[in-house]
Amino acid sequence: MTKNNILTKMKMPFCQGCGHGIIVRSIAKALEQLGYGKNDTIIVSDIGCSGLVDPLFDTHSIHGLHGRAPALGVGVSLGLDNPNKKVIVIQGDGGVTIGLQHVLEAARRNIDITLVVMNNLLYGMTGGQISGLSTQKFKEQRHFEVDVPPFDIVKLAHVSGAAYSARATSIKTYTDVMKDAIEVNGFSIVEFSSLCTSYAFKKLDQLQEVIEPPEVFKNERIPVRVHHRDTKSLFDKLDVIDKHFDSKIDSRLGVILAGSAGGGVQSAAKMLATAGMLSGLHATMKGEYPVTVGTGFSVAEVILSRSYVNYTGLEKPDVVIIVSEDGLNKIKGKIKDNDILIIDSSLKTDDFPDAIYVDFNRKAGKRGAALAALAYWMKKSGLMDIESLKKAVSSHKYSRILLDAINAGLEI
Amino acid sequence: MVYTDASMIITEACVKAGSDVFIGYPITPSNRFYQYGTQRFPAFLAGTDEITVVQWMAGFSAAGKFPVTATAFPGLALMAEGLNMAYAMELPMLLILTQRLGPSTGSATTGAQGDLMFLNGLISGRYPIPVFSHSDFEDAWEMTYESIKTAMKFRTPVVLLTSKELVMTNKSFDLNKLKEIKPVEKYSTDVIEPYEPYKTGDEMVPAYISLGDEKYQVRINASTHNNAGLIKKNDPESMANTRRLKEKFEKRIDEFTYFDHDKEEGASKLIVTYGISADASKDAIGRLREEGEKVSLLIAKTLLPVPGAILDIINSYDEVIFVEENISGIYKEILFGVNNSPKVKSVNKIGNLISPSEIIKAVRS
Repeated sequence: MTKNNILTKMKMPFCQGCGHGIIVRSIAKALEQLGYGKNDTIIVSDIGCSGLVDPLFDTHSIHGLHGRAPALGVGVSLGLDNPNKKVIVIQGDGGVTIGLQHVLEAARRNIDITLVVMNNLLYGMTGGQISGLSTQKFKEQRHFEVDVPPFDIVKLAHVSGAAYSARATSIKTYTDVMKDAIEVNGFSIVEFSSLCTSYAFKKLDQLQEVIEPPEVFKNERIPVRVHHRDTKSLFDKLDVIDKHFDSKIDSRLGVILAGSAGGGVQSAAKMLATAGMLSGLHATMKGEYPVTVGTGFSVAEVILSRSYVNYTGLEKPDVVIIVSEDGLNKIKGKIKDNDILIIDSSLKTDDFPDAIYVDFNRKAGKRGAALAALAYWMKKSGLMDIESLKKAVSSHKYSRILLDAINAGLEI
Repeated sequence: MVYTDASMIITEACVKAGSDVFIGYPITPSNRFYQYGTQRFPAFLAGTDEITVVQWMAGFSAAGKFPVTATAFPGLALMAEGLNMAYAMELPMLLILTQRLGPSTGSATTGAQGDLMFLNGLISGRYPIPVFSHSDFEDAWEMTYESIKTAMKFRTPVVLLTSKELVMTNKSFDLNKLKEIKPVEKYSTDVIEPYEPYKTGDEMVPAYISLGDEKYQVRINASTHNNAGLIKKNDPESMANTRRLKEKFEKRIDEFTYFDHDKEEGASKLIVTYGISADASKDAIGRLREEGEKVSLLIAKTLLPVPGAILDIINSYDEVIFVEENISGIYKEILFGVNNSPKVKSVNKIGNLISPSEIIKAVRS
């Protein structure tokens, strides 16, 4: 590795007396002393005064959004093929405040980056507003939000799992602390105190009086990296379904199956679609159910057709099967006069005098009622070979239970 | 035949096309992309929110890896600033956007076509971000491939716009209909020496070199920047670089213009649609033609930026009927504004698929 000057010849772009320049020089010195070259280093910068650093570093650089640089740096670090590249993320106390979760997440995963926080206690670029890292004593001087304590980002990063977290408050320690942080394999964070001469103090002594003391914490951890794996095509897991049976459906048939969540409605509908495919038909199936699992309604729509199905809605269902009250309440508005309507006997109502009422729940149980009702309809209509439904369930892991439900429907 | 859904087809197409990583945050109705993504992508990461997801994606992309995510409007809204960043940085990535009924959280499990206007204004200054749409399964496969190719070619985030009913409806399907997809080469225009990160030639797209490169110093920047990739306000080079973000697409739009024009000789009426409403429109056209009506059908697949070729077709008809599952016709408004011309009609609906009968009624009215 050749000896490099990590910094360009550009003059520091900060205000007169600003502490940021000292931190930038300390980062560069640490990198140089550890032997990192220009192409070994990637600077990830944030928004604000700390975001002016890119052109100072004669390295790779990426300049993103306010508060998001740690997350961007995580992506860069995980995306790199060469783990020997050094990703250094630089942000201010304002950036940490808006993007706190990104810091904690990088620490939690112990991603191999070094985060430099230039804490000048305020938002410099917008006129000196206090941040989430402004110290208590500083806020007392300002008579502003004195009852709100600051975040201790060093401790927060530590308890989140950072391999190394430190606060450095004395300029003469900056390069050494930075070296310690860079040498860590995993997530390291250093909060450096920085003087803002424009909006905080004219003198370093005044800053020293309000900042938190230095501290260092370590967690013995190995960094989390990306797990690459070889995967197989999703299509390999799909069953190829060929025509084995004939059916009397000559154009298109739409079925609505309505019941309760947990009642096997979606599974029964899938079995009907599969039976249709086994009968040489095109099939579509879609389900509707609440976002909760196992409570409320469960409705499925199946279309079986001789030709390819474009529109998967049902302008007019041909068959409507209802096996529970949840299902009845959900779809009763959709039922038209000329539908074939099959309803569980327990739901007998004057609203649908022409419906066929059958005892599915009593004969096949709550979980088997939907499939039993389909089997019942298949046999009664004669439109499909009941063997197609039996074959559809045969590869299911609960095929015996499903077959029992089908047989219960056939016996009615 | 197999029994599958478009979420699976799109996921598989992403991986076949060479995508490296899926970075997800769970949201309905993009759930199946997340589920299939965990099974199929060479790498998978669970982001902590959509803001994080885009940042991680940008980092991967800057390091030369192709990232994919899938979300719905609430996630997209959180991603807006990050997508502007990735756009300005010129980082290729794919965002699958599964539309659902809004506003706000709306109905997570009800489909819609409500997000095109947001995408049209997503990039501050209305710089165009490529938005592609699919309807049937073959389309889902091909438009995923074209989306990724476009992202690579133009170094840009690309949106594949879909919707709940398109990706969560199961259908019987013959996988042999899918054309072979070869991994998209990590497309890069040649470096023009001496290298500068944002210097471009005739293609108007800078060479795609990863951070950490051994030969070239790479500088990537979201703020207004010069060819060197450094912040530079208001100088001619930086302004030209900013204008180029729009011009690169305008100049080369023919390279990513996709649509199906089912033209009926002698027809003066045209149904214009995209995405989920294309299915009902195809059925409506079939029925109308059976009854002797002369109507053509245009299914747009390159939605944004709007290709001139699509406008030329639309302008060649006397009457145009837009079919979209939203409250007032978003694609129509993008093309014709709010001051409707009498030649423009609109079939709209929320909460349910538009049916073929509703389209037929509008065509005949």
